[in-house]
Amino acid sequence: MSNIVLFVQEHGAADAEELEIALSATFAELLAASKGQGPREETLIFVDEAEEPVGVEICIEHSGAKHGSRVHLSRCRHVEVTVYYQDKTEKHRFPPGAKVHRVKHWAVHKFKLADTDATEHVLQICGGSDRPSGGTPLHALLAPGSCALCFDLVPDKRVEG
Amino acid sequence: MDQIVPPSLRAFEEHRAKADFRLGEAEGRWLHLATSWPWSVIEVTAANRPNAPPRYAFRFELSGYAAVAATAQPWDAGANAPLQHRSWPTGKAIIPSIFRPEWKGGSCLYWPVDRLSIEGHDHWRHQHPSRLWQSRRGIICYLEQLHDLLYSSDYSGVRGS
Repeated sequence: MSNIVLFVQEHGAADAEELEIALSATFAELLAASKGQGPREETLIFVDEAEEPVGVEICIEHSGAKHGSRVHLSRCRHVEVTVYYQDKTEKHRFPPGAKVHRVKHWAVHKFKLADTDATEHVLQICGGSDRPSGGTPLHALLAPGSCALCFDLVPDKRVEG
Repeated sequence: MDQIVPPSLRAFEEHRAKADFRLGEAEGRWLHLATSWPWSVIEVTAANRPNAPPRYAFRFELSGYAAVAATAQPWDAGANAPLQHRSWPTGKAIIPSIFRPEWKGGSCLYWPVDRLSIEGHDHWRHQHPSRLWQSRRGIICYLEQLHDLLYSSDYSGVRGS
């Protein structure tokens, strides 16, 4: 029987958990194998950046997951993202597994930034100085109980001096 | 008698075994090539650009890891030698300010996360808080930043093309 390595990421957790499991296993079995301590009753399961959740009864091999895929255990159906740029605001719903660079791509398009400006701007978490890596899934950034994120699109200062 | 493993090497191997590092390898963002303590060579994948390689290798010097920041230089993994300056990555604005072969003879990157470059640049700690070394995350925070740079729209390929 062939196995697959998956990376399970819980709501609001920065670190993922690596699990090797049979391709024929269900997501219920994956949840049982996970060390995660979060509540499971209302957990939605998303594979990578998929828009729709998969059911716990689904076999991993039929879910579209591939070796090294991320499996997001989320309490949110969507993540409501607000981005501020200068005096403008845009909002959009993303699936929990969508990555930060996807939000930036969307924001650059929405705010109609020129290529040069897009290059020199980054997403920063509102009210702080954190600029998460483009490969970070949105739900890893969520506060407990929250399904919303807020970013400022700010200039990426050159390193000088 | 067992060989004594330096604590810094043990800490590095622990980080390399973490899911975040393994996830980066599974997603093709980076790949560990070799470690000969206190150096480790790791490839970082880059966006497709004309006449540019699909990835760049970096040799990290990791003495004092992870309490002490790493320093890295672009590396020719095949020749096991520093990468020729004409083969360094470049870009429109941000990347040329970081990949500066003239800075310290090309022995490091001009970037707050780098141990050799942060020396004498204490003001960077306030100007670029999200670009600093994080002992808890270690090599992963350096690799994430490199990957973000080499996947940004600022990256245009190699200097000599």
